[in-house]
Amino acid sequence: MSPATATRDAVRVPVAKPAPGRRSHRQGGWTPWLYLAPALAVLGALLVYPIYQLGLISFLEYTQAQVSGGEPTSFQGLGNYSALFSDSQFWSVLLATVVFAAACVLSTLAVGCALAVLLTRVRALPRLALMLAALGAWATPAITGSTVWMFLFDPDFGPVNRVLGLGDHSWTYGRYSAFLLVLLEVVWCSFPFVMVTVYAGIRAIPGEVLEAAALDGASQWRIWRSVMVPMLRPILTVVTIQSVIWDFKVFTQIYVMTNGGGIAGQNLVLNVYAYQKAFASSQYSLGSAIGVVMLLILLAATLVYLRVLRGRGEEL
Amino acid sequence: MSSVRVLVGFVRVRRPGRLAAEAGALVAAVVVAFPLYWMVLSAFKPAGEVQSAHPRPWTLSPSLDSFRRVFTQQDFGRYFLNSLVVAGSVVLLSALIAFLAATAVTRFRFRFRTTLLIMFLVAQMVPVEALTIPLFFLMRDLGQLNTLGSLILPHLAFSLPFAIWMLRGFVKGVPVALEEAAALDGASRTRFLWQILFPLVFPGLVATSVFSFIAAWNDFLFAKSFIISDTSQSTLPMALLVFFKPDENDWGGIMAASTVMTLPVLVFFVLVQRRLVSGVGGAVK
Amino acid sequence: MKLTARTARAALTALPLAALALAGLAACAPQTSDNSAKSDDRSGTLRVWLFQEVSNGPKQQVVDKAVAAFEKAHKGADVQVEYIPVDTRAQKIKAAFNDPASAPDLIEYGNTDTAGYVKDGGLADVSAEFAAWPEAKDTDPTAKQSVTVGGKVYGAPLFVGVRALYYRTDVLKGLGLAVPRTQDELIATAKKVHRAKPDLYGLAVGGAYTYGALPFLWANGGELATENGGKYTSAIDSEASRKGVAAYTSLFGDTNCPAAKCAQMGGNATVTAFANGKAAMAIGGDFNHAAVEAGTVKGKYAVVPLPGIAPGSVAPAFAGGNNIGVLKSSSHRTLAVGLMEQLAGKATQRELFDAMGFLPTYTDVRAEVARKQPFVEPFVRSLAAGAKSVPVSPGWGQIDSSLVLPTMFQEIVSGKKDVAKASADAAKKMNDVFGAAG
Repeated sequence: MSPATATRDAVRVPVAKPAPGRRSHRQGGWTPWLYLAPALAVLGALLVYPIYQLGLISFLEYTQAQVSGGEPTSFQGLGNYSALFSDSQFWSVLLATVVFAAACVLSTLAVGCALAVLLTRVRALPRLALMLAALGAWATPAITGSTVWMFLFDPDFGPVNRVLGLGDHSWTYGRYSAFLLVLLEVVWCSFPFVMVTVYAGIRAIPGEVLEAAALDGASQWRIWRSVMVPMLRPILTVVTIQSVIWDFKVFTQIYVMTNGGGIAGQNLVLNVYAYQKAFASSQYSLGSAIGVVMLLILLAATLVYLRVLRGRGEEL
Repeated sequence: MSSVRVLVGFVRVRRPGRLAAEAGALVAAVVVAFPLYWMVLSAFKPAGEVQSAHPRPWTLSPSLDSFRRVFTQQDFGRYFLNSLVVAGSVVLLSALIAFLAATAVTRFRFRFRTTLLIMFLVAQMVPVEALTIPLFFLMRDLGQLNTLGSLILPHLAFSLPFAIWMLRGFVKGVPVALEEAAALDGASRTRFLWQILFPLVFPGLVATSVFSFIAAWNDFLFAKSFIISDTSQSTLPMALLVFFKPDENDWGGIMAASTVMTLPVLVFFVLVQRRLVSGVGGAVK
Repeated sequence: MKLTARTARAALTALPLAALALAGLAACAPQTSDNSAKSDDRSGTLRVWLFQEVSNGPKQQVVDKAVAAFEKAHKGADVQVEYIPVDTRAQKIKAAFNDPASAPDLIEYGNTDTAGYVKDGGLADVSAEFAAWPEAKDTDPTAKQSVTVGGKVYGAPLFVGVRALYYRTDVLKGLGLAVPRTQDELIATAKKVHRAKPDLYGLAVGGAYTYGALPFLWANGGELATENGGKYTSAIDSEASRKGVAAYTSLFGDTNCPAAKCAQMGGNATVTAFANGKAAMAIGGDFNHAAVEAGTVKGKYAVVPLPGIAPGSVAPAFAGGNNIGVLKSSSHRTLAVGLMEQLAGKATQRELFDAMGFLPTYTDVRAEVARKQPFVEPFVRSLAAGAKSVPVSPGWGQIDSSLVLPTMFQEIVSGKKDVAKASADAAKKMNDVFGAAG
């Protein structure tokens, strides 16, 4: 079972059978709701309801004393939000989150797409090697991936400092080098998704198109820009939005590799910040308010995505 | 597979270019695989070599000591089993529920269909970690804290939206003509669903399972927050954290535990690899 | 404004977030947990959380022995001990308070957390049992104070923790340096050692080692906070406190303890560095004695009280120590109190001292071990010279777990802020918490 055959299947299954048109859809009466019931029950109870509570808690004064029943809960209105927005740390964490997520997304996409194109230009053996290595990185749990990368860059025992001749340089001391270390790990474990997906997409492009471009003497970069990108646009949109979703929510890597947010909290991102506020300082309402802010940002990203989809006249 | 053959021809146009590309691919493969190699290597290194100021990329005297420390750790087998139970339950339940939901939103046209689809998309955006707070209280009120249920339920909820979104492409791919033919043959809707549609969509289900499996298997936040005092309900990541000590990290133990933790996912990946790649391809159609 | 379900519902329906929610969900905040115990079972599983120490092995042996004795005396009791990491104890213990059903019965806790845990409603009042316990009458008053809030007793003291200066006799002698007698000499000596032996930290310090830093603050006349009619105000940014902060942070850098490594270290890491022969001096506790003895520096070190400003004076040490308390939610109160008395009793404390160097909380036992083991002398002397503690405010636990002080030290040593700015910011954070906690 080689990745090559797998990919051919990949392309064949969905391509060979055209999606059914509008006429085929039936009015099923209650049937669709019956089919949806279990999903809606689970999501309603375990996703929507907690989100609702998250919003609710963010308007209350809710600290340890309230949780333990020592003091009554009181309604704070927007008090938690104004406390949050007047805290300069919040803004710097927000900025760090956005910049860090953007850097992660761009690096992941660049590495993933470049390697996908590379895969189409090599014979089976190197392709198999790279495919297997990528699957290995993909399969590695975030927590073990983080610890392994930490160990690789360990100032005392790691091989990276030896090879680079950096002595006992500590990668987690500086703000940017710590973020860089986390970024490398994030890219390492998330580029395989992009690579595999884009590779499958390229294989679905009719060979004649690429051949014609190559015969015209177009450079690889030009072929990518002018031929592949337009044809892969739906796929690229999906992997981009998926990467944004994942990278904006990075938690484990930061939490493990920078020991909960780095020196003096320099490597905090919103997700870890919310967790620390809630569970370390037991300011549950502030933590919830941060969670709501995150949710709204991601919601905005989704709306942009949907607009793009609709703008192109695609059907959901 | 004419397109593939043509593609090979296209590549053959520039031979030196291909050699450079192959060298590049091999270098990339080595770089990508290196962390995993180092993890396994360190797990097999004897204690003195792991924490050495001059680490070597090989070992002449492999040792099982680190693995022994991992496996003799209190209840390690139990942790492993718990992780399997959690990940397994999430995979099975989410595949089943997502299959039904995906069928509903692709094979039927009904009010609020688009709204629901958008909600499934939005639901993927929800930061799991931010919901730890309300989920903690919810699990407490349900009396699920300290039990595996407190890990299964949230992961089920978090894996569903992506699973439904991904399965949509597969259900769509099954021709409607097939359904009409089945109906003409007198097959009931339920029979069509389970005996015809389900087997056809199965590859997609497997691909989807990978994502649910990884999410549930990797989780350490919920395990850390919801399994409060009952160590018999702990999962693997907790066993890994034990090796982070206040005085000095036991890197040999950490690497061995990481290896043990990564292995099942890797096996799962290799087993479903073909379907995974096709699944990802199908999902983005 | 008190919250009713109706006001909350009204406020929320107006919000876009509520639009996300499916219809028909009841608007109620998570219920508060009822921490009072429902029963007092005389058999069953007792869950115990103890702290994981540097070289935890010997502690585990003593505890296992005490537990075995307890189980023998109480048929049907099954004791499960879990060792939890000190750094993340706050989250774990809070979670336990939040869910009585899964909380342990007995916990070890630092004496700085007593007030906070009592306010959180987590610890059981054991005043009556403590008064009736014959061994308790020998508890030294400071230790008893550390389990007492508002005149009620919330546990039994397990050991007294006090820190002093560990130093390498061979290194100082080899370089012809005298044992420092003042704080200035201490800093100068540390730098001299590091200059002569760059692979050694002169004095191992840590940016996250609050209790090692506090003596510098106090020796310079600084305070963490001042109390006025039960209300605390931070004093971390006072002139004297800043002098102490500046003195401590001057030890970070290439002249003594490189910030890249030391900014992240906590107390345990500095002691480990000393025990492994990577530091010429360290501020360690009596409870670290066993770990140092087990290290490579055995036989090559000595301990003196941490010097103060004036020659021959002692810098006020942090009066630390841990207690054992029963959780209010325990459904095995009688058994749990029994186990508490077993674990914090004279016999166990004597063994813990032998195994770990934990200083007993009973005056008679402490005098007895001091006669037997001369190494405790500098610690007892530090204690006698006047040890100090953190503010007895319920807010302290939160200040501690929000890492206000480590953040301040790390900001200074990594050059992000100067002493004045960092201490002012820390003072503001502390006052916010004090203001909320009352």
